[in-house]
Amino acid sequence: MKTRTVLLVDDSRVARMMTRAIIERSHPGWTVIEAADGEQALEAARTGRPDFVVVDVNMPGIGGMEAARRLRAMLPDSAITLLTANIQEPVRQQAAALGIGFLSKPTDEAAMRVFLSGAAPL
Amino acid sequence: MTLVIGEIERDAVTEMINIAIGRAAASLSALVGDELRLSVPHLDFLTPEEAAEQLDLETGGADTVAVRQHFDGRLAGDILLIFPERRSLALVRSMLGAQVPLDQLTDLEQEALLEVGNIILNACLGSLANQLGLALESSLPVYLRGRGHRILEAGAARPAEAGEMVLFVHVDFAMLKNDVNGYVAFLMDIPAAQHFIEAVRLHVAAHLAG
Repeated sequence: MKTRTVLLVDDSRVARMMTRAIIERSHPGWTVIEAADGEQALEAARTGRPDFVVVDVNMPGIGGMEAARRLRAMLPDSAITLLTANIQEPVRQQAAALGIGFLSKPTDEAAMRVFLSGAAPL
Repeated sequence: MTLVIGEIERDAVTEMINIAIGRAAASLSALVGDELRLSVPHLDFLTPEEAAEQLDLETGGADTVAVRQHFDGRLAGDILLIFPERRSLALVRSMLGAQVPLDQLTDLEQEALLEVGNIILNACLGSLANQLGLALESSLPVYLRGRGHRILEAGAARPAEAGEMVLFVHVDFAMLKNDVNGYVAFLMDIPAAQHFIEAVRLHVAAHLAG
């Protein structure tokens, strides 16, 4: 299996720990990089060129939705999803309009596996 | 300022909160791997002092930890997730798993509770917003520690005026295996409560009209 790089964007260290644990269990050997806000995520995306990006919504700074919009433009071939506790319909609709996925917190391994199977082939 | 609420509206508000808390409980249950028992929502119009006393009564006057979020939009108010302090570490352990060492667990306690609050409170608010067809904005969660007055007053959008009533809705929950209990509480001032009840009234009327 080819290894991939996943960028996790969440202002909560605990949330990043839990998501990282799920990814490392389901995809051992993959590289997981982390960012604590949208600005860090843009920088990490420039340097790390991730295949997958998982973005929280409710974050300080530019916020997850704006970060996701800019990441979508920067990484047209990467799979991007929101991973958020904000389950409101308008948030799902904005994600769909941006061409990114929507996962609700708390996520589980099955949902993450489906998302991580969805990138463009290497 | 006071607000009269009829039996039908009270029942409808209780049912909507019940559904919202059910969504939040499903999230918490998945997070900690335990079943939750929920009470029927209690809905009262109280002064902030009475709400704090009520909270102290239910927690035995012990210190609590809480995560508070302000929400705004067509509805406005505060929502809180409250745990007795003595059981908060057990909650964090059930969430992160026994493999995390105790000293690291203690370091992570506050951040872990903020993330629990973020998930639970947004699940609850999101369900409520979806049911009513409204969009709500919520603030970043704030961590608080203390007795009832501190929990209910700290981080409030504006200080309560003397004698001012608030709509205080709370639901008790208990995790069956982990022996952790807690509360989810909504606080709205009377104008905000009027908007909420009107939104519920319109929602029920629309459903009944088919």
